[in-house]
Amino acid sequence: MDSPNDPQLIALLDRMATASLPFAAREEAFRALYDLTAAKLFGLALRVVRNRDWAEDVLQEAYLHAWRVADTYRSTLSPPLAWLGMIVRSRALDFLRRRNSERADAALEIDGAIEETVAGDAPNPMDTHQASEAAWALHECLRKLEARQREVVSLAYLRDLSHSELATQLKLPLGTVKTWIRRGLDQLRGCMSRFA
Amino acid sequence: MNLIQHPELADRLAAAYALGSLRGGARRRFESLARQSPQLRALALLWQERMSAMTELQPQEVPSANVWKRIAIALRNEEDARRVAAAPSARRGAGFWRVAALAGGFAAVVAFTLAAYTGAQLSQLSATPEIRYVAMLEDERSSPAMLVTFDAKHGTLTLKRLGDFREQADRSLQLWALPSGAAPQSLGVVEGGGVIRLPAVEGQLRQVPALAISLEPKGGVPPGSGPTGPVLFKGAFVPTT
Repeated sequence: MDSPNDPQLIALLDRMATASLPFAAREEAFRALYDLTAAKLFGLALRVVRNRDWAEDVLQEAYLHAWRVADTYRSTLSPPLAWLGMIVRSRALDFLRRRNSERADAALEIDGAIEETVAGDAPNPMDTHQASEAAWALHECLRKLEARQREVVSLAYLRDLSHSELATQLKLPLGTVKTWIRRGLDQLRGCMSRFA
Repeated sequence: MNLIQHPELADRLAAAYALGSLRGGARRRFESLARQSPQLRALALLWQERMSAMTELQPQEVPSANVWKRIAIALRNEEDARRVAAAPSARRGAGFWRVAALAGGFAAVVAFTLAAYTGAQLSQLSATPEIRYVAMLEDERSSPAMLVTFDAKHGTLTLKRLGDFREQADRSLQLWALPSGAAPQSLGVVEGGGVIRLPAVEGQLRQVPALAISLEPKGGVPPGSGPTGPVLFKGAFVPTT
């Protein structure tokens, strides 16, 4: 089942991709799509790159990419926000790879305000606003994990980090990270199988 | 080993593969097995799909209003480039440039008004530059993009950016004179924001009814060649007296 916003987002993506429409009409659809999704996708970009300026660069690149490939959206059979989220994540990861290869001190520029901790009593940071059915299922299953495990599993995926990179970034012992990921994934598998 | 006969292990590996925590040799072995087995491949895709929902669960944050402005500018650049590329026969021929020179009757009116105004103002101030020509270059939506004046006393073309257009770091804007019945002549590369000055002699500007600005590779086209990129701005070039 589509989430409430989906038909609207899909119609906008269709308009963006309709070459026979005047440019102004396609741009207007793009603007409407941006207004409906930018806060969600900026939150995602910020979570991956952890610096507002970088996240804004990523967001700009991601939307321009979405504009260029809007005509391929339907063939992916994805919910619209999930499709846009994939674009943002992959642009954000590209951005970090470029950045890391350019400068070794990139880690120093991360905004202090949004540097995260994996405190055990952290409130549930997940947000199901506009989420697709698949995101609801994942949300329900992640919610059952201990907060620290949920955080480590989420960051492993969102930032594409290895066990040792996670250990360094979160200042945790490597063994702890490995255990949390393994247990987190086992619980997730048990829970997700009920939604298949 | 046939992983599909070990469903528990296959599921665990597929989940770790999708999460990204399966790395190195283990990851390559899994990929090789998945290439052989449609069931394993389906399992990996299922987990990739499940994990990708993680992108939808992050807290919202409002980006600065500049992001959309930058997107809109880049979008218009792309659209201009696409439109020119879509009309290859017009691109190089003089026809396109004649159209560019004649386009925008409104631009001409603006320029003439400006010319009258500037001329009147400047005739009262002997110490000020001697403005002989002015042009208001407009974008495709007829929004003012660049004001060009020619100061004969100092042999200087002064360009003032009016819109919020900024070329990408690897591109340059190039200013062209569009003489009637002849090929466009480069007047120089427009580097920098705000106000830009280019040296010019009046002889280059006589019998030039219009100016245009094209988007070119960094540093402009080689001397002697014509414009290669899309025309972004154009307008009538009008004497002040």
